[in-house]
Amino acid sequence: MTGSNEYKLNQGPEDSISAVKFSPSTAQFLLVSSWDCTVRLFDVGGNTMRMKYQHTAPVLDCAFYDPTHSWSGGLDAQLKTHDLNTDQDTIVGTHDAPIRCVEYCPEVNVMVTGSWDRSVRLWDPRTPCNAGTFTQPEKVYTLSVAGDRLIVGTAGRRVLVWDLRNMGYVQQRRESSLKYQTRSIRAFPNKQGYVLSSIEGRVAVEYLDPSQEVQKKKYAFKCHRLKEEGIEHVYPVNAISFHSVHNTFATGGSDGFVNIWDPFNKKRLCQFHRYPTSIASLAFNNDGTMLAIASSYTYEKGDISHPEGAIFIRQVTDAETKPK
Amino acid sequence: MAEGGDVEWELSKENIQPLRRGRDISALHQALSLQQDGFSSTINQQRQAFESELRMYDGDDPLDVWDRYIKWTEQTIPQGGKESNLSTLLEQVVTRFTDEKKYHNDPRYVDLCIKFAENCPEPLDIYRYMQAQGIGVTQASLYIAWSEEYENQGNCRKADLVYQEGFKKCAEPHDKLLQFHKALQARVSRQVMMDVEEDDSDDEPKQKERISLADLRHRGKKKAIAPIIRTGPAIRSISGGLQPRSAPVLGNATNSRLVVFDENKAESAGPSEPIFESWSAPPTARAKENERRPEKWCDVKMPQKSKFGHTVMAPPPVKPTFQPFVEESDQPPTMTPCKINPAVNTVLSTRKLCREETPLKRLQEHNQQQKEAESGKLQEQSMYCKELLLSGATEFCFEELRAERFFKRMAQESQEVRGHEGQASTSDAN
Repeated sequence: MTGSNEYKLNQGPEDSISAVKFSPSTAQFLLVSSWDCTVRLFDVGGNTMRMKYQHTAPVLDCAFYDPTHSWSGGLDAQLKTHDLNTDQDTIVGTHDAPIRCVEYCPEVNVMVTGSWDRSVRLWDPRTPCNAGTFTQPEKVYTLSVAGDRLIVGTAGRRVLVWDLRNMGYVQQRRESSLKYQTRSIRAFPNKQGYVLSSIEGRVAVEYLDPSQEVQKKKYAFKCHRLKEEGIEHVYPVNAISFHSVHNTFATGGSDGFVNIWDPFNKKRLCQFHRYPTSIASLAFNNDGTMLAIASSYTYEKGDISHPEGAIFIRQVTDAETKPK
Repeated sequence: MAEGGDVEWELSKENIQPLRRGRDISALHQALSLQQDGFSSTINQQRQAFESELRMYDGDDPLDVWDRYIKWTEQTIPQGGKESNLSTLLEQVVTRFTDEKKYHNDPRYVDLCIKFAENCPEPLDIYRYMQAQGIGVTQASLYIAWSEEYENQGNCRKADLVYQEGFKKCAEPHDKLLQFHKALQARVSRQVMMDVEEDDSDDEPKQKERISLADLRHRGKKKAIAPIIRTGPAIRSISGGLQPRSAPVLGNATNSRLVVFDENKAESAGPSEPIFESWSAPPTARAKENERRPEKWCDVKMPQKSKFGHTVMAPPPVKPTFQPFVEESDQPPTMTPCKINPAVNTVLSTRKLCREETPLKRLQEHNQQQKEAESGKLQEQSMYCKELLLSGATEFCFEELRAERFFKRMAQESQEVRGHEGQASTSDAN
């Protein structure tokens, strides 16, 4: 099944994968958080696991602060930072409920966490300590950083745009333009807008500028749907990852497919083969030559038997990722 | 009862929605003190607990969780409103069990349906829907609520018919139904009596009716009743209370304790009839400017000079050189008139709940969809556990459901460990 341009990572997590993130500086390292309560660091080139550290509960997200520090949080509501050189843990702080997402904002030099306790917290990565708690109207499901702006997707299909330099008020309160639950939000590398995916096979491309002319450009499209025996099966779209150079993006759904889209010409650039189970997370590396694909059951149909999860590393070409 | 609670209750009476069954005073105190520190995490935690219980429940009485959740919401968020999610919850529970035959005459479900109806703009439609679906047809509470709704709308005949229907269906408890029916009859007959009296009074000339702002009282040592024969609505006014009456005719000010100032008779003090001076002559016009005799205006023509010096009567209508003013709304604005405030910008929220979409419509749509799904006509199928994510007032994501399972398992394991330890320690003691 795996061709010459793709291989499976060895020593993968023992339970579902929650997130994969590439190192910001090299294409060599991949951080993987999992429901088996671990965060692992992989050497992608050598296909070996370099390091592994434990949480007391399943880990829902992880992020690089710099090439030598990882941050992670999960069901134990603890935010941990791990020094990848010395293999040492520090508990930075806690939320009142499980931490769903962890991101780093290089522009403002701050770590951002979103939790089911209806709050976003900022953390100073140098000290490290809490730098503020900001209440959200609902449980935070996803967040993404666009320059110095923070886009938060919550339950109840709400989207909030914050200015990380001035967290005194919400810059924009939006409603998702999709009808169903928000699964993932990722900002364009050019910081103009974001892509939002929903639980019912749909993706929206939105712009941050509230002026009417710009807002006219926004659109949404159907994807990750399979027609079988006359019935259209609609799958959740779990993962989005942007190609940092071309501003194109990959989406992964519970149908096990990965698509790459050109948002400017509104075209699909390519679709890869079907992976064994749901795509839980996707990550392009820093220069956009590799895509990490976490194929792992996301429990969308409850606790049923499912194929084993795995992480695939795929070399991608310009033909697959560049707008035509 | 805490002293502080009492004060809060005094201060926030207007923020407490009345409940049909009243309120538990201790719960109310607790709710109010919780809200002192904002819409607090305690409430959110409890709500989250209920929400996860809704989804994780695997017993044979799922309605129980809903019932407790809704009662908790009513008691804990006494001001109601959107924040309480009460109407969402009621709609959810009604929709969810509308096909469950075993709950159709369960008093809890029927009560929830009635609460749902009362929260709807058109309760009567819901009651009719319930009757058509056979929900609560043997429950007295349905007929009582239904009849009260008719009565509120002033349709007493229909209100009575509803009770007749209830008797026909042998709704339980029979005593309660009978009692409420009797009360309705009593109210209706009283109403009829009052209507008759009103009709009588209408025949009499209005002038005879006297105003009384206070009851007539005897003065001094005389214990005589006020020597005026009162008729019509005036009799009723003795019993006090505000009643709508026709325009008051001003009479003797001495009759009432309260002297009402009246500009027409401000000068004529004393107990006399107001004297209307007849105007002997119209008031004289003083210093009128530009006086002009009335004449027919349409005949008057403005004299106009032509280029050639002689007068023309009517110049041909010329096309105006200026742009005539057109209402802004007639044309789409070509550009944004002012800076858009992002906070109130409607561009950012695209999906608005359709006005025509009533809760009943949604309920019927749900039924339709169920039937279509059963007959296999469905075109689309969601490949995830939609029911679990969307039941309750707030949605859950897959990870939350899985987390609930994880926490449950952890709790069980730790209990087992404790159990083992307990056994071990007892065996040690032995």
